[in-house]
Amino acid sequence: MLPLPPFELHQPVSTAQATALLSDLEKPRIISGGTDLLPSMKYGLFTPPHLVSTRRIESFSAISGTEEGLSIGAGATLSSVAAHPWVRRHYPTLATACSTVATPTIQEMGTLGGNVMLDTRCLWYNQSTFWRNALGGCLKCEGEICHVAPKGQGCYAVHSADTVVVLLLLNAELELASVRGTRRMPLESFYTDDGIHWASLEPGELLTRIVLPPPPRARLAFRKLRARGSIDYPLLLTAVRVDLDEHNQPSGGRVVLSALGPRPIEVSDVSESIAQSKHEEAAETAWSQAFPLPTHQWSTPWRKKMVRVEVGRALAELS
Amino acid sequence: MNPADSKKLDGLEKIQGRAQFTDDLTRPGMLHGAFHRSPHAHARILRIDVTAALAMHGVKAVLIGTDLPIAYGVLPVAQDEHALALDTVRFVGEEVAAVAATTREAALAAARAIVVEYEVLPAVLSVEDALAETAPIVHNERRKKTNILRKVRREYGEVDEGLERCEVVLEDTYYYPGSTHVPLETHTSLAEPDGHGRVVLHTSTQIPHHLHIALARVLQARLQDIRVIKPHVGAGYGGKSDPFATEICAAALALRTGRPVKFILDREEVFYAHRGRHPAHMRIKLGATSDGTLTTCDFSAHSPGGAYASYGVVTAYYFGVFLPLPYRLENLRFETSRLYTNHPPCGPKRGHGAIQPRFALEVQVDRLAEALGQRPDIFRLGNLAPPMSETCNGLRITSSAMGTCIEEATQASGFAGKHNQLPHGHGVGLATSAYMCGAAHPIHANALPQSSVCVSADRSGRVAIFSGTADIGQGSNHMLASLVSRTLGIPLRDCTVLEADTDLTPVDLGAYSSRVTFMAGNAALEASNKLCAVLLEAASTKLAMESEALVFQDGRIASATDPDCSLAFSEAIALAEQTHGTLTFTGSYTPPRIGSRFKRESVGPSPAYSFTAQVAEVEVDTQTGFVHVKRIWCAHDCGKAIHPGIVEGQIEGSVYMGVGEALLEEQSFHPSGLHRSPSILEYKIPTIHETPEIISILVEEGDPEGPLGAKEVGEGPQLPTVPAIANAIYDACGIRLTEAPFTPERVLKALEKLEKTG
Amino acid sequence: MNKPLSSTPSLLEFEVNGEPVQLLASPQDSLLDCLRDQLGLTGSKHGCDVGDCGACTVLLDGTPQLSCITLALEAKGTHLTTVEGLSQESTPHPVQAAFDEKVAAQCGYCTPGFVVALASLFETNPSATPEDVRRCLGSNICRCTGYTKIIEAAELARRRLQGLDT
Repeated sequence: MLPLPPFELHQPVSTAQATALLSDLEKPRIISGGTDLLPSMKYGLFTPPHLVSTRRIESFSAISGTEEGLSIGAGATLSSVAAHPWVRRHYPTLATACSTVATPTIQEMGTLGGNVMLDTRCLWYNQSTFWRNALGGCLKCEGEICHVAPKGQGCYAVHSADTVVVLLLLNAELELASVRGTRRMPLESFYTDDGIHWASLEPGELLTRIVLPPPPRARLAFRKLRARGSIDYPLLLTAVRVDLDEHNQPSGGRVVLSALGPRPIEVSDVSESIAQSKHEEAAETAWSQAFPLPTHQWSTPWRKKMVRVEVGRALAELS
Repeated sequence: MNPADSKKLDGLEKIQGRAQFTDDLTRPGMLHGAFHRSPHAHARILRIDVTAALAMHGVKAVLIGTDLPIAYGVLPVAQDEHALALDTVRFVGEEVAAVAATTREAALAAARAIVVEYEVLPAVLSVEDALAETAPIVHNERRKKTNILRKVRREYGEVDEGLERCEVVLEDTYYYPGSTHVPLETHTSLAEPDGHGRVVLHTSTQIPHHLHIALARVLQARLQDIRVIKPHVGAGYGGKSDPFATEICAAALALRTGRPVKFILDREEVFYAHRGRHPAHMRIKLGATSDGTLTTCDFSAHSPGGAYASYGVVTAYYFGVFLPLPYRLENLRFETSRLYTNHPPCGPKRGHGAIQPRFALEVQVDRLAEALGQRPDIFRLGNLAPPMSETCNGLRITSSAMGTCIEEATQASGFAGKHNQLPHGHGVGLATSAYMCGAAHPIHANALPQSSVCVSADRSGRVAIFSGTADIGQGSNHMLASLVSRTLGIPLRDCTVLEADTDLTPVDLGAYSSRVTFMAGNAALEASNKLCAVLLEAASTKLAMESEALVFQDGRIASATDPDCSLAFSEAIALAEQTHGTLTFTGSYTPPRIGSRFKRESVGPSPAYSFTAQVAEVEVDTQTGFVHVKRIWCAHDCGKAIHPGIVEGQIEGSVYMGVGEALLEEQSFHPSGLHRSPSILEYKIPTIHETPEIISILVEEGDPEGPLGAKEVGEGPQLPTVPAIANAIYDACGIRLTEAPFTPERVLKALEKLEKTG
Repeated sequence: MNKPLSSTPSLLEFEVNGEPVQLLASPQDSLLDCLRDQLGLTGSKHGCDVGDCGACTVLLDGTPQLSCITLALEAKGTHLTTVEGLSQESTPHPVQAAFDEKVAAQCGYCTPGFVVALASLFETNPSATPEDVRRCLGSNICRCTGYTKIIEAAELARRRLQGLDT
């Protein structure tokens, strides 16, 4: 029914081949599971002349856990990450987050790298070519105004990657490869405030691995607020971490929220409240720092209210 | 029932992926169709330039509105549509031009290359817009320069006096949103010309017969030159009950190009084709006397119903006529209207026109019960209209097991022990309803049968059943085969159903108004009874026994007392054929002339009504506002269940659809008239996780006129779901929600308001 | 000059329902369109075409995939199973038999997707629990049944496959 626009497909079998293609080809895009990219291409959001598939790069699906930490190939499917014994034992919250993405079938297709690279989303953007033309386009695609914040300066399309809030609390790093070599970047500096250019990726770079240090001495909780128990993107993502001292007592903590703007936000000034188990205070702090915009069909004031509830509940899960 | 006969006739072929839907058909040389659609809610078409499109590789033909200038519509009284907009576009997404090309890609590219110049007009997007004195007129070609498609005012009894005599009168306003069907199969049509001017259209429709008429009208062709065939249909729920642009353009382009042409709508386009639930702004005043007798209802409903009439004239009546059911109301007044607006046209969705008022009525009944200090079930039981009675607006009630339904649903759910007694946040709610088994008066007023069935017996012992009705997944083919096979005492698998082919099957009006079991079922029984008669005659002669002493069973015609004295079914056929020639018999169904005190009322009367009682149990998350519907018990008076599993399936599907409308679904539009969420991702239909456990209770007291006592089940069970959930939410946390869907935001706002006002 | 509507096709060799298949596919061809248009395997359906509904679910090397958002050429060298390949000769797969017995198909358009997803669950997780079944069923949309009979059928199949029921 909805044809894809034409493109050439490249199926490299090694990272070196892939980065060479990314360097040589004109405006290539990377395809991994395709569960975000292909619907977007069917809707005419992108018409790349070349797709470079990572499916045939064997190392891309490798997951290995050691005392040093965890390395997850960018092409590992979300279901394989969720099912991996090392992940389940040492990073169970990551497994939980992987298991909430879209549907179980999409978790069999979609990859962790793909989730990290998930395009920002918006009610005004993730629509068909006909629909966007009827509207007159938006800042992120073919248009001149942002319908979410018409008086604003930029695009506020929403970061919606379920796993990322957990990866941030686990201090994940990204391994990026290009013909120029390989570099590591902390995940926390990867996303930007711009809904259009939302990733700090250089031309020709390919996300190859997600690398986690050994699990922190902490308890983590993850909550995804969504309209339905399956299929849906998040209305709010909440991840909290309660750090523990040598007596397993709370010594501090972190709260990361997403689905509010182009990048996840780390709530500031909550560690003390968490250390003192003042959950309501921590939830209040998070609430005061969250500013959802009308990027979703569901009411913006309600989404803001939910920040307090969800942070409170996440902390309650850990006490 | 024979265990093999408990499997649905067409079950396995669907489960194995063999069943052929329209999109599964291809033809050599087949062209693909695509539409160019309006980006404006309301605009005059100044110029259409198709030159670039026609010049594109693979493009064979382009049609615009003036190629199909004759207006049509499913109702004879409202012929206001064109397959392609003639001179004005009236909603975002309306079809403006149609392309046929050798590939779908080429067709889509050509559709995009069509250039249309518009003069944008102010759009009508609400009831207020539509009724404003200076309102732009959606249909300027009509004689009456208003946006009112139909306004209905009726009064039965004496409403003002009735209200005065009431001890308790409660008045409230309610809003029910628009929603859409979302059948998994999008509208698909494949037309093929025969080279002699005839065209055969395979299409996903609920109304082959009405479509046949519309096609002949628009194509200016003889009915004999058009053949409509309905393959398997990936469901409709009312959404495929109109003639659609896909169908007309496929046929027109096939005739134009001399090649087969297929159209399949994208998911997004189905939201523009729509014909879904009418949004309704309602006000209800309901009164009861001091002894708890519900006597009087004063009701109004106004609907911004979209750009074309579809069934909208009927909708305006349906808003009012079913209100008395199932109660013993003495006085009823209603004022309803269906307005034209610049939205995709609304139409019939499961429980057409009755769902919205039922929400208002059943919540109001609950409030009244509370005001009178009565438990909701007791109050309702005390106010029921008895079987074999007539409502204040002249509807003839024959069988009614309403009381049994309330008792069964409340007993199974433990309602008495839960209502008002569960912990905060948990609650139960009850609602009741009734629905028609087909309309007594057909769309095209005439004295012809509404259903006809032809049954033909072959010497092999196989029986073919020809019916013009449309199985859209609800199981009507199984129903027909089951009635015929039971009458003839043969296995279900020895029956072949040939359906919905206007060349081969006798006319049936189609799958809408919950009419098929009652009407086509009766026609099938009549035909098979005629066949029985000649077989009995032959068997009686052969076996030298009185025909009264013979029974049809296990593929034989046998003595009721001496099973050794019998004749194989196929032998009886051969014998009867010697006397009568080929054994083909017809049956038909015309509803009885249902007398009413109100002569001019043609909308509402039905040969029978089904009755339903539902109890919903919910848990409300008072921090987020999410409502979790845990269980729904549905007791439904279906007369008799011809196939219990299929009947349960209809109940489960109806309740599911009601849950979607209660919690999630809404056709919502941008101020420009653009649909906000035309996708399965963003238009939130329930997944398994939002669907409650559904407990179906079949109440089978039989109907005197239904086939083997059966009544409808396809739509009625959806009626009580939304008010039952609303009443359960009240029981759980004290908030009366008067606007659906019951979103977390609405729930939280109501809770906050309750906290403030105490 | 118009942009080309398709790019150069290349050879796709894979195994479909146990038989080797060769065909020409363009890069932008979805696996679903290849199966339906070139191989006549029309059991997998277009429901949404963007991965929301599950009606096009097939098994690629045993794992469920949405064929509407899978590039055909990515299936090179794989073993593919469609709903048509689940039945052995004319014997329905246990999941199919259970669907038939429980009258779990109404319109039948979503049914192949459900059947394929469940068959894969029971194959990959022989000790699947009712909770696993519910989770799995969250991948597919049915608009007819309220999922009730589908859950009953899935449960019947699960119990039979696990030897808990006959």
